[in-house]
Amino acid sequence: MYLLEVIDAGFSYKNAKIFEHLSISIGPGEVHCIIGPNGCGKTTLLDCILGVLKLNSGEIKLKDKSINQYRIWEIANHIAYVPQSHAKTFPYTVMDIVLMGRASHTGIFASPTQEDRVIAERALAMVGLSSYRERPYTQLSGGEGQLVMIARALAQKTPVIIMDEPTAHLDFKHELIVLETIVQLVRDTGLSVVMATHFPNHAFYFANNGINTQVALMSNRRFIANGHPDGILTEKNLQAVYNIYAKVVTQHISPMGEIKQIIPVGTLNNHLKGR
Amino acid sequence: MSIDVVTQIVWSKLTSSATGIPEISQTVVWDIRLPRAILGALVGGSLAVSGAAFQGLFRNPLVNSGILGVSSGAGFGAALAIILFNQTSFIYLFAFCFGGLAVLLSYFIGRVYNTTPTVMLVLGGVIVSSIFSSLISFLKYVADPYNQLPTIVFWLMGSLATARFHDIAIAGIPMVVGMAGLVAIRWRINVLSMGDKEAHALGINTALSKGIVICCATLATAGAVCVSGIIGWIGLVIPHIGRMLVGNDNKKLIPVSMALGGCFLIIVDNLGRVITGSEIPLGILTALVGGPFFVYLLKKTKGGGW
Repeated sequence: MYLLEVIDAGFSYKNAKIFEHLSISIGPGEVHCIIGPNGCGKTTLLDCILGVLKLNSGEIKLKDKSINQYRIWEIANHIAYVPQSHAKTFPYTVMDIVLMGRASHTGIFASPTQEDRVIAERALAMVGLSSYRERPYTQLSGGEGQLVMIARALAQKTPVIIMDEPTAHLDFKHELIVLETIVQLVRDTGLSVVMATHFPNHAFYFANNGINTQVALMSNRRFIANGHPDGILTEKNLQAVYNIYAKVVTQHISPMGEIKQIIPVGTLNNHLKGR
Repeated sequence: MSIDVVTQIVWSKLTSSATGIPEISQTVVWDIRLPRAILGALVGGSLAVSGAAFQGLFRNPLVNSGILGVSSGAGFGAALAIILFNQTSFIYLFAFCFGGLAVLLSYFIGRVYNTTPTVMLVLGGVIVSSIFSSLISFLKYVADPYNQLPTIVFWLMGSLATARFHDIAIAGIPMVVGMAGLVAIRWRINVLSMGDKEAHALGINTALSKGIVICCATLATAGAVCVSGIIGWIGLVIPHIGRMLVGNDNKKLIPVSMALGGCFLIIVDNLGRVITGSEIPLGILTALVGGPFFVYLLKKTKGGGW
């Protein structure tokens, strides 16, 4: 049984069609990377999965039941969300933020219990930020802030986490820290992650680390290809989607073995012109 | 009068026993000072707690309890009642109703695509506030300059001087209900302050929660404004004093703001009574007294994480 299925989904704002005929099935312990150019509708798709927006056609199923039959808090018990960049307002402590992951388990006139606190502590430990508990989260760096958002999602204790470009605006090291954290969580807890990303190499990173990885390549409002990165992230497909010339290289790096990476060489126009 | 005598009077009134204290002292303590102190606590608490709740809801630390137009609406209602009837009970009623009406208008102006984005709500509030402010100016312009105009101006500057027990009984109900609601829902305000999308993904019904917060804050503020007039500053700055003292978690911040607001208004009201021979309106004093205290706290806590 799939945890989450998107079946022939279509969405439009008034007359502007955003996407159509999208299908994707997510099982336990999988990482799904949704890759596509700016404005292709990745975030809108994620919003539909989260229940923030409603599909115009097709359906989204959570454990074989249409998502429309779930209450808001029930969806939040199945799917958590890590935003692209979180607009920080008040200097809440890191612990205050992570505790908010327990909202779906907390009544409208109630506050988190001691048990919720323990769960939040554990979530914070999983991303390695236990010592940051009392720090104002407004003073954290971008990478640390993103780890706090992941901890908040973990505190929700859901089988699926949706991430919208979780490494946008991060430097090389923090990008790797976030990716390593995701790999470790998927490996240790059997979590599934659906993430929109602008970096096809992320999909290879997960595959190189032995994670069951799927890529959905989105272009012109549809998935033009969907499957394991090796078959999807080909030079031909990247050219079709981005109009760029890219090279996929394989390198032997011990102890990991063969690892694949994409080298973006140039935009097609520029490349064909020659030098 | 010493504290001793005051406690004796209050005690004797509560237990309806006799004391040897002169009637005049009893009247001053029981019928004039005590209701005024209770009203001050209620009004200060209401304004501060609504301000804290709105700051969280609108994710904006510069928001105050009047952001959705409740103060200007109530001011217009009061001015209208002063011109038409000049009776205290009508002033309360009109101020309360127009305060509520202003918030309702802001809410519907801010409603687009069946949702209420916070920016649109704030914009709606700003528009409604400015419309009611001009209407107040218009009423001042047409008011009789010897009787009505001074009454309107004095009312707008805020005062607790009219406080009697029956005022508390009437205006106290919305204030207590509103404050109790905000105290009950206070942790949710944390989640709402993450923004609509994140709050939704965290599993809460944002429309319902927002609606409850707005209703409660409006009840509390309208209840406060209709008896005391427009007292600025408390709804904006008292929550920030609370933030410096206990942090931003609304679970602590909301009750602390309520207590601080109540204490602060009682102190300021007392100062306003005793500083000069005649009373200084509260709206003038709140910032004069609170401002320096705020700066002191700011320096001491280094702003508390901003």
